[in-house]
Amino acid sequence: MRKIKNIELMAPAGGFDAMQAALDSGADSVYFGVDQLNMRARATMNFTLGDLEEIAEKCKERGAKSYLTLNAIIYNHDLSLIKTVVNRVKEAGITAIIASDQAVIGYAKSKGVDVHISTQLNVTNIETVKFYALFANVMVLSRELSLRQVKEICDDVVKEDVRGPNGELVKIEVFGHGALCMAVSGKCYLSLHTNNSSANRGACVQNCRRKYKVIDLEDGHELEIDNEYIMSPKDLCTIDFLDQIIDTGISVLKIEGRGRAPEYVATTIKCYREAIDAFNDETYSKEKVKDWMSRLETVYNRGFWGGYFLGQELGEWTDSSGSKATVKKVFLGKGMHYYSKAKIGQFKIEAQQLKVGDNILITGPTTGVIETTISSMRVDDVAAEIAPRGSEVTFQVDKMIRASDKLYKVVPAEEVTD
Amino acid sequence: MVVITQQREKCIGCNYCVELAFDQWRMSKKDGKATLIGAENKKGFYTLRLDYEVFDSNKRAADACPVKIIKVKVI
Repeated sequence: MRKIKNIELMAPAGGFDAMQAALDSGADSVYFGVDQLNMRARATMNFTLGDLEEIAEKCKERGAKSYLTLNAIIYNHDLSLIKTVVNRVKEAGITAIIASDQAVIGYAKSKGVDVHISTQLNVTNIETVKFYALFANVMVLSRELSLRQVKEICDDVVKEDVRGPNGELVKIEVFGHGALCMAVSGKCYLSLHTNNSSANRGACVQNCRRKYKVIDLEDGHELEIDNEYIMSPKDLCTIDFLDQIIDTGISVLKIEGRGRAPEYVATTIKCYREAIDAFNDETYSKEKVKDWMSRLETVYNRGFWGGYFLGQELGEWTDSSGSKATVKKVFLGKGMHYYSKAKIGQFKIEAQQLKVGDNILITGPTTGVIETTISSMRVDDVAAEIAPRGSEVTFQVDKMIRASDKLYKVVPAEEVTD
Repeated sequence: MVVITQQREKCIGCNYCVELAFDQWRMSKKDGKATLIGAENKKGFYTLRLDYEVFDSNKRAADACPVKIIKVKVI
């Protein structure tokens, strides 16, 4: 009999809408940032310290864990702020913090707050795992390790009985899906060099995602290298070899994407949830992988590759500046009212028209993500095929919608010009 | 005269302004954000009027600011 191991699926949450989408899609835990000291400090959608209770509560209700990222480089002037944040984490009942700076790790330990070691610390061997086991129960490995190296570390944790402060064997975590960058586990100087904007303070301007030329300074000849974005790797995707990932003995699979839209989180988490469950009930198959891959391609991506897990020496570079997602969303309007007995949602169409047969997407901070197809609708209380701009439309939605929700139409990407 | 403004809430605490215009800027040990010394808070925009001699250093700070929240205007 194969031993079934419950892999924890960890989802990114850039806001309440993405968090709700993650919880509804089967995430076991979510991670998020507050204010400036996390690796997405630029993101306007970061939570604030005042949101911690609501986050902790919403996660607990669903039996999910919540982790706060506090993994930027820390200066002297940040020391008081990190104490405030760690204290608030404890008060609010957030499960743990994800940290990389020793100041954060040390203070959290002294306050009895659980620590996860961030990928920023580049854990690549068992001795480092043992060192951080003095402080942390969970560690994210460096993104540059191969499957064999990951397995060896997981085996050594068991063999050498490496236990964290909670007395249990240290849990090993890896990145399973999402954006990668060319720097070793995120330690990058490029954005700081060109824009004074440190990636290690969460302010990366993503200049690696652009196209570059090499210019011969002697004769002025300009070369474009193979027409590729030579500093912009494709996105990591492991769903096609997730069985091998789980077999290494890892405990936590992290999905990247705190800067991504709620429907990205919903689609990605649903696919990986199904894949982990399929692995557990031994129905993981090529056919299923094909279906998951085509669904993952519908949301933001720069093309996929398997990262360094399979032993590639060099990254695979993307050939596009932005997303290769096969579908895009077009804003139509806003939620108005939900008739819960009849399960009818009412929306105001403010931008483009809605038609019967359209695939739609509804997102909001409490609603999360709803995806459905319009089979029939009523405009100003009369059955209609088209709801023009300015009209009020009602149609069947199985889940409750709210006035804070936005309504989008989902269309093939080639139909949309940016 | 120059008017310096800072949209303080968006500060990510990188410390550049302090390095480039030390006479006007300090990092707050309270919340880790940069503080424009002596500035008046007008709905989140911290504002300070000073003599023209501080223009160069503060212009450098404004240019270096990664989140572009510092503005220096000559009046």
